[in-house]
Amino acid sequence: MNNQPSFHYQEEIDRLRDRFRFDFVSLALVQPAEDRFVLTWQYASGNLNERYKRIVLHSGKGIAGIVFKTGKPMLIQNVAADLSSKDLFNYPIIVAERLKSLGALPLWEEKRVVGVLLAGFRTEYRLDEASFELFQRGLGTEFGAFRVREGVRP
Amino acid sequence: MIQMTEEHLYDLLKKMYLNSMEAIFFINEDGNVIAMNPAAENILDVDVIRRMKSGVDESFCQTCKGYTDEKDLISCSKCYLDYPQGEFSSFQVYLKTRGEGIVPYAASYHTIDESRGIRVLMLLDLTKQQKTQEMLQRMNMLKYVIKAQEDERKRISRELHDSVAQELLSLLVDLRVFKYMNVGEDVLGKLKQTEASLTRLLDDIRHLSVELRPASLDDLGLEAAFRSHFKWIEKNYGILVRFSAELAAARYGSEIETVVYRVCQEAVLNALKYSGMDEVHVRLCEEQGQLLLTVRDDGVGFDLNAGEAKGTGLGLYGMRERAELVGGQFMLLSAPGGGTTVQLRIPISSFEGEANES
Repeated sequence: MNNQPSFHYQEEIDRLRDRFRFDFVSLALVQPAEDRFVLTWQYASGNLNERYKRIVLHSGKGIAGIVFKTGKPMLIQNVAADLSSKDLFNYPIIVAERLKSLGALPLWEEKRVVGVLLAGFRTEYRLDEASFELFQRGLGTEFGAFRVREGVRP
Repeated sequence: MIQMTEEHLYDLLKKMYLNSMEAIFFINEDGNVIAMNPAAENILDVDVIRRMKSGVDESFCQTCKGYTDEKDLISCSKCYLDYPQGEFSSFQVYLKTRGEGIVPYAASYHTIDESRGIRVLMLLDLTKQQKTQEMLQRMNMLKYVIKAQEDERKRISRELHDSVAQELLSLLVDLRVFKYMNVGEDVLGKLKQTEASLTRLLDDIRHLSVELRPASLDDLGLEAAFRSHFKWIEKNYGILVRFSAELAAARYGSEIETVVYRVCQEAVLNALKYSGMDEVHVRLCEEQGQLLLTVRDDGVGFDLNAGEAKGTGLGLYGMRERAELVGGQFMLLSAPGGGTTVQLRIPISSFEGEANES
């Protein structure tokens, strides 16, 4: 299941942040049935505040919501250029953590997206297509109990 | 009353002719102007007056653009000049005026000398009255539009909540029954995924319904609706809303409740968009027969006189308009670096009857 004790996700994302020099890494996971399967940010590394804990994501909304719904990675090289400032409040994690450049990946389990891994910088254009690709490759095919790419058997 | 002598009457009539605000035209049976008072001369174009005085074209038609009848706003059918026997004791006429373009006037037209066919046309400027009327109409229109929007939202919201969500829920129950039937492990796994998706969909639909118009606003009142709305805000945007309500009555007129709810919704949304803070304070209380709503943040604030809105600027306009609809007062306080406070005051005494009805 999602939160198997054999994986220490906090340590995993701390390590990721360290390894790729990210300012911020967080992990959103689908919650069990008791919590109505909502998607929430469960772990964060390098966070400025605890605001991420309050956010409950809706499918199709916000960074994690979009990645969750589409099952595709998402890259925002420069928040100021790629997102309208009028629209920014719809991405609370970007506002709360003052991210300027970020990428998000879907995490798979049984051909379903069950989580979203987000990594970003507080400086513009720090994450571009090349470095995002590098990050995905460096991550490998698995992250904890999840697969990073759809349909790829470990 | 003083004894009216002939001379005295002439004197008064002459003074009236010269000093009256009303424009007075004397018109003969051919529709030509034979005399007009100074007020009338002030209205007309200079070269129209010149033409009239020199006798080139004395027709009143060059000034008149038509009058309002049952069919058209500006019409020339059955012109009052040609049909002296028609009912023209009071009507609206449009004149081409000096420097002001075409302006509406209240007019009266009647015969004063039967034997020679002399008639008098008296005009009173209507623009001011018309503007007042237009404003009144716009306010009424706006009321209708807002009401129509609320009603439609309520309808769709109910439909989603009572019908779509209910169907989905029973579907979900049906699906759960499978768990207790003799099915394989792989089917069970797939079922679990479907259950998760359906549950999320159900939640989405419920949110949509509440977003359109919370049923709790109609069923339970402001405080309950606010509490669930703020919880939703917190989940969606990670913003904390500190809400305190000190209300004597649980319910108010539905018009008032709607206005308070919508204004507060907009104000909180503004705060979370622009204040840069992750906390907003909302207070709802009664003070001297008024319902008082305060939405305050300690964020960046803004210059009220900047003129340049950060968003569309429509939000503030809408809040003010909504407040006016229930005779309320809308106040906005802000300064750069000093946070922003929105205050709404609505008199509740006059609406008590309505509240009791509902």
